[in-house]
Amino acid sequence: MEISISEQNGVQVASVTGEVDLSTSPQVREALLKELGMGKGVIVDLSGVAYIDSSGVASLVEAFQTAKSKGQGFALAQVSETPMRVLKLARLDQVFVIYETVDEAVNALA
Amino acid sequence: MNEQLELLIDMGRHYAETQDIEVTMGRALERITELMDVDGGALFVLEGGMDDGQLVCHASHGPVDIRGLSIPAGKGIVGRTVANNASETVWDAQNDPSFDKNLDKEHNFTTRSILSAPLSVKDECLGAIEVVNKSGGDGLFVAEDLQLLEALAASAALAISNARMAADVADKEVMRRELDRAGEIQRGLLPPPGDDESSIAGVNHPARVVSGDFYDFFTLYDGRIAFTLADVSGKGMNAALLMAKTASLFRCLGKEDLRPGRLLQRINAEVCETSMRGMFVTMVAGVYDPKTGRLVLANAGHEPPLLHTPDDDFLALEASAPPVGIPPELTGGGPVAEEVHHLDGGALYIFTDGATEGYIAPGEELGADGFQDMIRSGGAKGLSPQARINAIANRLSGASEALRDDVTVLVIDDAKALQERKKRADYDFEHDQQRAAPEMESPVEGPLCTLSVPARATSLKLIRQAVSNTALSCGFNNEVSQDLVLAVDEACQNVVRHAYGGREDGDMNIEIRLDASNYVVLIRDFAPAVDVSKIKPRALDDIRPGGLGVHFIREVMDDVQHMPPPDGQGNLLLLKKAI
Repeated sequence: MEISISEQNGVQVASVTGEVDLSTSPQVREALLKELGMGKGVIVDLSGVAYIDSSGVASLVEAFQTAKSKGQGFALAQVSETPMRVLKLARLDQVFVIYETVDEAVNALA
Repeated sequence: MNEQLELLIDMGRHYAETQDIEVTMGRALERITELMDVDGGALFVLEGGMDDGQLVCHASHGPVDIRGLSIPAGKGIVGRTVANNASETVWDAQNDPSFDKNLDKEHNFTTRSILSAPLSVKDECLGAIEVVNKSGGDGLFVAEDLQLLEALAASAALAISNARMAADVADKEVMRRELDRAGEIQRGLLPPPGDDESSIAGVNHPARVVSGDFYDFFTLYDGRIAFTLADVSGKGMNAALLMAKTASLFRCLGKEDLRPGRLLQRINAEVCETSMRGMFVTMVAGVYDPKTGRLVLANAGHEPPLLHTPDDDFLALEASAPPVGIPPELTGGGPVAEEVHHLDGGALYIFTDGATEGYIAPGEELGADGFQDMIRSGGAKGLSPQARINAIANRLSGASEALRDDVTVLVIDDAKALQERKKRADYDFEHDQQRAAPEMESPVEGPLCTLSVPARATSLKLIRQAVSNTALSCGFNNEVSQDLVLAVDEACQNVVRHAYGGREDGDMNIEIRLDASNYVVLIRDFAPAVDVSKIKPRALDDIRPGGLGVHFIREVMDDVQHMPPPDGQGNLLLLKKAI
C-alpha cells in the first residue's frame, strides 16, 4: 500500500494504491486526518486500490465524519471496481460523495 | 546389675509409648538421680562434630533447670568427658579450672563434687550425664558411685541411640510413602499403554521411584497425533518436579495445535521464566498424520531419534537446537527448526539414553546396535509397536537389580496406517472407476488448502491469496471470489483483533475445503472462547467507523456458524458458500 498527497486548487488529493487491510489502514487513517487540516478539503483517489477491507472503509468513514464536523469537503474519486463493490456491500456508496474523476471532484470542492 | 537393665527396659518401653525422645531422656535422668541419691543432674547431647559442635542440655533434674544450656564441645567438665569418652569424678568442683562458677552464682547453688560419664554406644559418644553433690552419707562420692553412673549412662546411651534409629526409620518410611505417591501421580501423567492396533505407544521404566523422563501423545481435532518425549537432567525429586511441569506445559500448549518448533520455543520460554537453576530438559516434539504418514519433528538437544525406514535402514535424526531450559537470550530464541519425514510404513523411535546405555549383562550396554537388533527381531516376530518397545524395556529391567537410568521409549509406527491408506486408495480407485462411467461429473470433496499462521495483521495477505486462488479454481467468478476474499479476511481480522485482543503470539489455522459442492472455510484459533451472543453486525444506517466486518461476512457467505471447538479450546468458525 502506498499513499501520495498532492494539492490542486487548494484541495488535498490523496492517491491510495495497493491493498488497504488491517495492517495498512492505520496509515491511511493517519494521512487523511492529517490532510484534513491543510486545505479546503480532501479527495481520496481510489483508482489504484486493489483491495480494501472493513478497516480501510472505517478509515474513510472516520475522515468523512471529521471533515463534516470541521466544515470541510470530503469526496472519493475514481473508485475502481473492487473498492466500489465493498462500499456497496456496506451501503456506503449512497453515503460518500463520489466523483468519476479527480478533476470533477476538485472543481466541486475548490 | 539390675538397675542398669531396668533403666534400659524402662526407657525403651517409655519411648515406644511416647515416641518422644526428649521426654524419655528426662525420665531417664530422673531415674538416675533418684538411684544415685544426688542433688541434681543433667544430660548433655552432642550436636555437630567434636571440633565445632555444641553440647546441649536436653534434660535436667534438681534445684536448677539448665535445659537448653549450650556449651562448646570440649569446654567444661562435661566437654572433657565427651572429648576423652571417659568418666571421671571431680571431688572439688570449685577448684577445678574447667568448672564454670557463673552458673552456681546465678542460681545461688554450690556445686561441691561432680560425677560425669559419657553417653557412648560402642565407640560413638552421643553426649554425657553429670550428677552433682551426693545427698546422703558424708556427701562424698565413692568409686562404686562412678561405676553405677557409667553403667546407667551406657544404658541411657543405648536407649537414646535406639530411639534415634527408630525415629529415623519412621521418617524414612514417611518419605518413602510420599515418594511412592509422587511416583504414582507421575505414572498418571503418562498416557495409558496402547493395544495391538495402536500405531503410537510408549514405555517408561524409572530407575528410582520417580522419574525425570516422560512421554506423551494425544490426538488433535483432525486426527493428527501430537507427541513428545523428554529427559530432565538429573534424577530424583527435583527432576521429577521439572518433568511434571514440562509435561503439563506440553499437554496445555500442545492442544493449541502449534507447530512443534513453535511449541518447544513456547515451552522453553515458560520453563526459563521460572528457572530451576542449572537444570534442563532435552525434548523431542512432533506431529504425525496417520492419513498421510507425514511427520513433523522438532528436537531440542535430545538423543537423535531413530527412523526405521520401510527398506530396513536406520537413520539417526540429530538435534538442531539446544535443550529446553537454556534462556532464549543465550541462544537467540526463535522456534526450534523442524524437519519433515514421510514414514511410508516405517517407524520412528524416540528414546532416552537410559535405553541404549542400559545394561543387558553386568557391564554390558545394550548399545545403539543392540537397540536396532531388538527392533528388527520384534518386527520379525510380528510384535505390535507396544510389545516391541516393552520387550526392550523389560530386557533392560530384567538384566540387573536396578536400572542405571530411567528407560523411556516412544514409537510411532506407520505400518497399520499405511495399510489403511492403501485400502482407502483401492476403494477410491474402484469408486472412481464406477463414478467415471456415468457422464455426470461428480463433485470432489476434501481439503483444498490448510494454513497455520501467526494471528497477526501481516498474515492476512497470505490468507487472501489462498482464498482467491482456491475460489477461482472452484469456478467462482471474479466478483464472488473477491467477496469470499473479503469475508474470510474479515473473519480472520476478528480473530486477530477481538479473539486474541491484539496479542501477537497467538496462532490460527485456516482450512479451505470442498464439501458437497460447497466452498467451506474453517477458521480455528486458540484464544479464550468468544461470547457468540455478543457478535452482531451493526445497523447500516448507523454511519460510523468499525463494526462492518460481521456484516460483510454474513452478506457474502451462505452460512456462518460458530462451531464447538475441538477439545473445547479456542474458537472455530465455519463459513460456507454454495458453488
